[in-house]
Amino acid sequence: MKELLTTLSTKLKNREISSVELTNEYIKAIEAENEKINAYVHTTFDYAIECAKRADDMLKAGDASPLCGIPMALKDNICSDGHLTTCCSKILDGFRPYYDSTVWTKLKREGAVLLGKNNMDEFAMGSTSESSCYGAPKNPRNTAHVTGGSSGGGAAAVAANMAAYTLGSDTGGSIRQPASYCGVVGLKPTYGAVSRYGLIAYGSSLDQIGPITNSVRDASLVFDAIKGVDINDQTSVDHEYGNITSQLTGDIKGLKIGVAEEYFEGIDKETKESVERALAFYEANGAELVSVKLPILKDSLPVYYIIACAEASSNLGRYDGIRYGYRAGDYTDIDDMIYKTRSEGFGKEVQHRIILGTYVLSSGYYDAYYKKACLLRNDIIRKFDEVFDVCDVLIAPNAPTTAPTLGYSSKSAVEMYMSDICTVPVNIAGLPGISIPCGKDKDGMPIGMQILGRKFAEKTILNTAYFYELNNKNVIGEYEGGVNL
Amino acid sequence: MALSKEDFNKLAVLSRLRFSDEEAEKFRNEMDDIIAFADTINNAVSGGTDDIKNTSIDAVGFRELREDEVRESLPNEKILSNVEGHKGFFNVRRCVG
Repeated sequence: MKELLTTLSTKLKNREISSVELTNEYIKAIEAENEKINAYVHTTFDYAIECAKRADDMLKAGDASPLCGIPMALKDNICSDGHLTTCCSKILDGFRPYYDSTVWTKLKREGAVLLGKNNMDEFAMGSTSESSCYGAPKNPRNTAHVTGGSSGGGAAAVAANMAAYTLGSDTGGSIRQPASYCGVVGLKPTYGAVSRYGLIAYGSSLDQIGPITNSVRDASLVFDAIKGVDINDQTSVDHEYGNITSQLTGDIKGLKIGVAEEYFEGIDKETKESVERALAFYEANGAELVSVKLPILKDSLPVYYIIACAEASSNLGRYDGIRYGYRAGDYTDIDDMIYKTRSEGFGKEVQHRIILGTYVLSSGYYDAYYKKACLLRNDIIRKFDEVFDVCDVLIAPNAPTTAPTLGYSSKSAVEMYMSDICTVPVNIAGLPGISIPCGKDKDGMPIGMQILGRKFAEKTILNTAYFYELNNKNVIGEYEGGVNL
Repeated sequence: MALSKEDFNKLAVLSRLRFSDEEAEKFRNEMDDIIAFADTINNAVSGGTDDIKNTSIDAVGFRELREDEVRESLPNEKILSNVEGHKGFFNVRRCVG
């Protein structure tokens, strides 16, 4: 895997290329590839050139950060002042936020260049990005396949060299799973590690912003830039990480890797074998494999869907057609306007999750579903704590299969939910996880594994991933297209 | 447990959503599967017996709340920038007599 950000940063600092020139290369690549991949739903090319000019000034001044001048993109649910941000939903048609998200404020300060907004499942609800009102993005490794979701456009943009890195959001696997399907790296940080100010909310006790990149070191560089406490996000945490990238060594001697057999149940044979080979590789190089039990994993999926839908039904109550976005054209009174706006503006999957969330919160069912799910959440948190008493990281598959072909979301809701089985548990527990490529299936589609850690153990999981990356180059192979670097 | 037509209609009102009869019937049937899936938490491996109040603390880890001090706000013009043809307010059709 290429350490793209370091390479680009060196070229920019050595003045081999200017940020404006580099940005123009990316713009050309997007113009050439986007019709095929559909990774971008809104582009901000004029603004990108403005950002690039500013970055070139910073580079000339000689105190530029490693991300200065490098073109990137945000998921379509992360706000930037004045730029269309629509959650790929008709209900936010034409919405231009009037403030910057904290992550974009931080990156802008470092001289980042914003190319646009990436395709996603509507309101981040889905596992294939097919519920986007702009149509599904296509997997660059094979365009007959889905990118995964919900940050599918961001993963596709990185895989197809249409952005040097992107930011996604992960509520139940929405960074890690598309990264895995597209053969790139996706980091879901600890809950509270990165401010969500300016992230359009889905499940507020689960949502977390994180980077999608070409390499582990790149993910670390971006995480270093966006992490930190923020007065505008009461759930953000003041944790002293230091600079993680400078601490990556790839040394895993004595590392204890937990292996929970429950994570491997119902997993496709090729995926299972690929992750097992990676585990053997770690063991052969000085790590110790520790067998752990996590029977509670099977409860995670219903717990996740109950909590996520409950929070979504509340969060999405704000869309009434009055303050922003879409408003129905023909109505008799204010109630009729709100009903029509919501019924016409939200897609079917979103409407279904609002109804489900309303159901589990309604009088008579609250105790049986929402309260019970919250109580079980405590147990899931504790079980993970116990596991991390005996190991440093857990390694598991990212998804039961590789990327399915387009049209997968026409399956039943419960079948769709099942595909999230590997990723949701850490969101429930607020833990960090990283997805990295570890192989390919017989059709050449990428297989990913996830490395999970205790709260605020980003350095440990990144270093564990970094070891694998250093010793397993070109697991997926180069994409023929996009910016030629 | 199957969801009655009446209950489904109540949920739709609470959610401020309207469904055609055909859509409602299709989704109500799908909801039965989803509810059966949600019901599996009642056979959970673990009991989940702790006080619910602990949940947000464990999972979310709220810091101490900040001081309740007035901070600079966004200007009205910016906040209204998504409302076409506004006259300094969010516009809705008259809803009181």
